[in-house]
Amino acid sequence: MKRLGWILAFVLLFSVLLAGCGGSGGTANTSGNDNSQDSGVGDAAGGPDKAVTLKFMGWEASPLETESVKNGLKAFMEKYPNIKVEYTPVPGAQYSSKLLTMLAGNAAPDVFFLGSTDYRAFRERGVLLDLTPQFGAEFSVDDFIPSAAHIMQIDGKVFGVSSCTVSPVLYYNKSLFDKAGVPYPPSDPAKAWTWREFVDNAKKLTVKNGDKVDQYGAYGFENFYMTVAQIYSNGGQLFNEDGTKMSINSPEAKEVLQAILDLRKKEGAAPEAKMLENIGMRPAQMLQTGKVAMLIDGSWALQELAQMNFPVGVGVLPKFKEPATHGQAHVHAAWANTKHPKEAWELIKFLSSEEYQIQLIKEGLWMPNRKSLYTEEGIARWYNDKVHPEGFKDMVSYFNDAKEYPFALIRQSKVNDIITEEMDKFWYADQTADKTVENIESRANVELAK
Amino acid sequence: MNAKRLLHKDGTWAAILLLPNILGFFIFTLFPVAASFLLSFTSWDMLQPIQWVGLQNYTELFRDEIFVKVFWNTLYFSAVTVPSGIVISLLLAVALDQGIKGIKFYRAAYFLPVISSMVAVAVVWQWIYNPEYGVLNYFLGLIGIDGPSWLTSTVWAMPAVMITSIWKGLGFNMLIFLAGLQSIPDSYYEAADIDGARRIDKFRYVTVPLLSPTTFFVTVMSFIGSFQVFDSVFLMTQGGPARSTSVIVHYLYENAFKYFRMGYASSMAYVLFFMVLIITLIQFWRQKKWGVY
Repeated sequence: MKRLGWILAFVLLFSVLLAGCGGSGGTANTSGNDNSQDSGVGDAAGGPDKAVTLKFMGWEASPLETESVKNGLKAFMEKYPNIKVEYTPVPGAQYSSKLLTMLAGNAAPDVFFLGSTDYRAFRERGVLLDLTPQFGAEFSVDDFIPSAAHIMQIDGKVFGVSSCTVSPVLYYNKSLFDKAGVPYPPSDPAKAWTWREFVDNAKKLTVKNGDKVDQYGAYGFENFYMTVAQIYSNGGQLFNEDGTKMSINSPEAKEVLQAILDLRKKEGAAPEAKMLENIGMRPAQMLQTGKVAMLIDGSWALQELAQMNFPVGVGVLPKFKEPATHGQAHVHAAWANTKHPKEAWELIKFLSSEEYQIQLIKEGLWMPNRKSLYTEEGIARWYNDKVHPEGFKDMVSYFNDAKEYPFALIRQSKVNDIITEEMDKFWYADQTADKTVENIESRANVELAK
Repeated sequence: MNAKRLLHKDGTWAAILLLPNILGFFIFTLFPVAASFLLSFTSWDMLQPIQWVGLQNYTELFRDEIFVKVFWNTLYFSAVTVPSGIVISLLLAVALDQGIKGIKFYRAAYFLPVISSMVAVAVVWQWIYNPEYGVLNYFLGLIGIDGPSWLTSTVWAMPAVMITSIWKGLGFNMLIFLAGLQSIPDSYYEAADIDGARRIDKFRYVTVPLLSPTTFFVTVMSFIGSFQVFDSVFLMTQGGPARSTSVIVHYLYENAFKYFRMGYASSMAYVLFFMVLIITLIQFWRQKKWGVY
């Protein structure tokens, strides 16, 4: 009897469970179909007046960015009163896993930021709306700078529109240079310091107090994002043409790795990476407080640096053979299953407009991804002397000519982690440069073949 | 049998009243557990259709050099943190079981890390470990030791994470030991006094044996906790440098949410489950052999 009661309870439970699952699934599907039909009918009738709510998700690079996005969205909603945009900023570190989970749960935002290094991996899984026809009707790929155009296109198609461009650059604290009597790093790429000049100056800017170093010459190259730019500068490559194999095992790449390591170990002009960050200091603060005289960081950091009330300068990176940097930026993409593809495109079109881009360029967070904004009249539209330091105009060609950030052109995010792991052994555990590039090549090629 | 009679049975009512709880358990625990078991035999990136791949994930695991590495890292972490955590918390519990003045303050102080957020703890410890400005190397310097760069050394990063984890978990184990200590009747100690036992003898022959059920519980729970360590690693080192602090759950997380490999990640979860199961069974077996007081 008692047992029967239990069995009954379980049967009941399971039937409820199963019914629950089936039910919710069924409803979701039907409602999905209904809605897509609705919007289809709406399109056909050309009735744009139906109110639509778009979900839009992005990450917060800085509170100021979120503010700018919100300002932009306000302007957008005034222009399109029938479209309401709900913006959700998400902390950057969890962004792609959050987006992935939402996509898997069929509850993704209609429009979202997508990191350039995730772009191809997400595209491969068919979750991005093909924007090629809409894009072609409004924009031309040729109007974009080469790095942005190349990253944005996958087999000639567009699934997300480049937002802007950002690149590694060299920041410096002018007062420390004045004190040491060292000339400022050049901002004109044609006059870039050679690596030798850079090392000599970094040593002059290193201030010791007994055994302790009070001020380091330079910081930042051990971050692989910056290292890549120097490998390019020496004529090295990370991947082959079509991104199917590593080609980092070259004398050029090895020379760069060794030179960066020597800057810290042999010359003592750079601190250990992570050391200062571990005490809760952001790189920008290290530069401000004089812990380092030069900082290699992304161009986006200018927004923060320009507000820190110290004489900051921006220059190009030192060169090995040719002055070089790389460029990339997130794309604005739409979900393949969005119920409002037309409105989603309107939003992406707005986010891709020069007007929208310019407000963030003025803040120092972004750099333009349009060729038209690199002409003299174009520069005048965004140049802001409160943010962009003296000589900044000399270096704009640096962004225009930037090579594509190589990790944006591959699909396997594991490759990046393998490189980080092997580079850690190189920076911190005395693995030789030869062994490091060999290991990266053999391990990453396995992943690239997948 | 009619429905009315069924309703009058106690068992039926118990089942009905337990239903919300059981339902929750089924939906939020049992179902995901079973689903991830099935997923461990598949290849699934959450976005494209699931493909059945049989045992392929499991065979790949043991050929995956990163998995082998994180597997050993996990064992290393457990082998150090569990015994030392237990010994230190037991000694602390004994020390705090005395009638010292302000005893409640000390107990609360040692319990504080348990209730603080791991995020805050990680930030504070990163400061402590800083090679140039951290207090740890400062104190080591006072006694003539040139401290390593803790979190950026492939050798010392793991011990650093271990120290933080032990420190964080100390208070919880201490509390359980304290409860265990207080349940030992004073008469045993009095009898030992009469027999002329020294303090150390009393600890060795009265406290330790009578505490064995508590020790058993603490050991099992600590092992399970240490196998599942994630937050301290994720927050302090992200598994680096060079994966020297990466553990199974950390690699599992990376596979699931960075590399789009749910099936592979699930197979890791099950390897971890069986590791915990085996260790726990060994504990039970040992307990039986040694006997419980």
